[in-house]
Amino acid sequence: MRIAVCRPQVPFARGGAEIMTDTLVSELRARGHDADLVSVPFKWYPGARVLTQAFLWRMLDLDEADGQKIDMVVATKFPSYVVRHPEKRVWLVHQFRQAYELDRTDLGQFSESPEDRALRRSVQRLDRLALGEATRLFSTSSNVAERLERSTGLIAEVLPHPPQQLGYRCEGYGDFVLSANRLDRAKRIDLLLEAAALDPALRVVVVSNGPDRARLEEVAHGHGINGRVEFRGRVSGEQLADLYARCLAVYYAPVDEDFGMGPYESFLSEKPVITTTDAGGPLDVVLDRQTGLVVAPDAADIAQAAAWLREHPADAARFGRAGKALAEEVTWDHAIGRLLS
Amino acid sequence: MKVAYFSPMPPERSGIADYSALVLPELRQRIGVEVVRRGRKRAPRAADVCLYHVGNNPDAHGWIVEALRRRPGVVVLHDFVLHHLVAGLTIGRRDGHGYLDAMEREGGVVGRLLGHAVLDKRIPPLWENRPEDFHLAGEIFDLASALIVHSRYVRDRARAAGYGKPVFVVPHPAWPAPDVQPERVEGEPLFGAFGNLNATKRVPQLLEAFARVRGSHPRARLLLVGAASPGFDLERRLQRLGLDSSGLIREDYVDEARLWALMTACDVVVSLRAPTMGETSGGVIRALTLGKPLVVSDVGWFRELPDETALKVPPDEGEADTLAAALELLAAREDVRAAMGDAARTLAVREHDVGRSAELYVAALEQAAGGAVVQEEIFVDVARAAAEVGIGPDAPDVTAIAQRLAEVELAE
Repeated sequence: MRIAVCRPQVPFARGGAEIMTDTLVSELRARGHDADLVSVPFKWYPGARVLTQAFLWRMLDLDEADGQKIDMVVATKFPSYVVRHPEKRVWLVHQFRQAYELDRTDLGQFSESPEDRALRRSVQRLDRLALGEATRLFSTSSNVAERLERSTGLIAEVLPHPPQQLGYRCEGYGDFVLSANRLDRAKRIDLLLEAAALDPALRVVVVSNGPDRARLEEVAHGHGINGRVEFRGRVSGEQLADLYARCLAVYYAPVDEDFGMGPYESFLSEKPVITTTDAGGPLDVVLDRQTGLVVAPDAADIAQAAAWLREHPADAARFGRAGKALAEEVTWDHAIGRLLS
Repeated sequence: MKVAYFSPMPPERSGIADYSALVLPELRQRIGVEVVRRGRKRAPRAADVCLYHVGNNPDAHGWIVEALRRRPGVVVLHDFVLHHLVAGLTIGRRDGHGYLDAMEREGGVVGRLLGHAVLDKRIPPLWENRPEDFHLAGEIFDLASALIVHSRYVRDRARAAGYGKPVFVVPHPAWPAPDVQPERVEGEPLFGAFGNLNATKRVPQLLEAFARVRGSHPRARLLLVGAASPGFDLERRLQRLGLDSSGLIREDYVDEARLWALMTACDVVVSLRAPTMGETSGGVIRALTLGKPLVVSDVGWFRELPDETALKVPPDEGEADTLAAALELLAAREDVRAAMGDAARTLAVREHDVGRSAELYVAALEQAAGGAVVQEEIFVDVARAAAEVGIGPDAPDVTAIAQRLAEVELAE
């Protein structure tokens, strides 16, 4: 089958959606499909640019390429699903969250002006129409599916995907908690830093980059915990797998996250995950005292969770192994089978 | 955002006043609302958008139409056919020319001539005999920057009448079920029909059908609640149909509390209507809340009720037969009544939740208040990009671009 995987691209940014779509293309190819990635740059400001940029997808003609029919498109996140195609599958990574649950929060985008309010509604209407055209609609987590149903009434089948392929392994339970999220505010890495400030025995390794890095470094500096917090920046796959292999646990507590590959990567390394009750998607798989610890979004609770795992390494290992069993069930064979069926 | 809210309000006796009393508290939790005092024709200066509730009663809505004429805004169209309203605002104010103009606007010269015939009393008033043929909503359409309607039926009729601006379908919200004891009314089963008694409520057909059902279910009763319209003589109707009044229970106009108590006592609620003016029925909404199986006419908004909740009777020559069969089925099958009642209750919660209606109102108002600016911005951005690469207004590609924009409703 000829399949076009559609993904918007914020130039110079790379995160979970990019990894997922790149991997999907190679996994489709590995199964004999003629798959390719279709990517269009995306900028969501100022004003109505969010919609005109979305509209670019509508103008694409993906019925065929170079005289050959394209059998299916698989759209992923806003606004790639605005594309037209008679066989449009959507594997929803997320909608334009500023128009939904992030509205009127620090992470929102739309002001109270009548124009901005109308703009937000137009994004919602566009979602309803474009997603309503899908011949099948999947979401990467139940959190994404629930948001979709709440906002549009559309029902998506939950279809998680495996994380990026790394040399996952477990080499013991070291003395540090790992954070491997992109550094932006919504990932709430500052909570982990504040936890480290409360517990002098807690060591933290933060990998990846992002717009919040400077602020986070200031937070660490302000708390006087520089010696116990390492900012490693962007690391290679090998280095990341090595950190997963050696850490005590993984911290993963974004606000109302869509899906998050972090827990799966952690589990494949047999590591428990510390998350929060409001983390959203990760709660599909991070089960309190089964595969990790789920605590209130509060620095003291996170510090306490990390200390508990440090003092109970056998339980940490047990949680990690249970997580691994769960993560191993999520395979590309299964995901692609359902996606194309 | 501030909304100026024009509507009849309690204690005014009007279904729309009750409606507003239900919606307003929910709306106020989500958006700034100022209810405009009855009779005031100017919107408060700070209002970003005006919301006008328009129904068919000239006494209740005349001042609202006058305010709409001063400042266009979003219109909640409670009835599609506004003939009665327009007649009241023209003939009722000794403005025969206004009525003729409204008739001509919709029906051309023939319409104007018919209007003359009405004014000269050569033919019976059209708003009583043929309102559905002349809806007379044209002026309201001109003034409304957007419409809020309660059914797809009214939306489609507005579109068919040429209304091209945004139309939002907001389901009629359901009242919460009050904590009332069912009234003691005999009947196994008890059928109930609520609302004014007149020919458009298909009372003759209902009486005929019920008489047949009584043959096989002698303990069945029909409760008719509501004032008889002038000229509608129930006794004479019964005589003419050769029916006796056994099994019939009559109640005149009742207050809200008694209405709920009586409806709660019913096993089935019958709500027939033909022709329809595009209205929803507050009675049916209440019946859904109470989880009552319904028998309705297969017209307008009533047709949109899910089949699991309502048996639908086309108002055709076989109406009495179909109606009798529906009543017979529900009389005989308690399990069917129970299943339909459950579906009704579920529908009331899912579709007619007042919070959901308020959300949809806010969405509609926000789009109406700022939507034109957004559309303009999109249009300019797309047109500029096209022009920069040589796609001018006359280029064939412009049609494709316009089509794509319309497909996803980014432009009208």
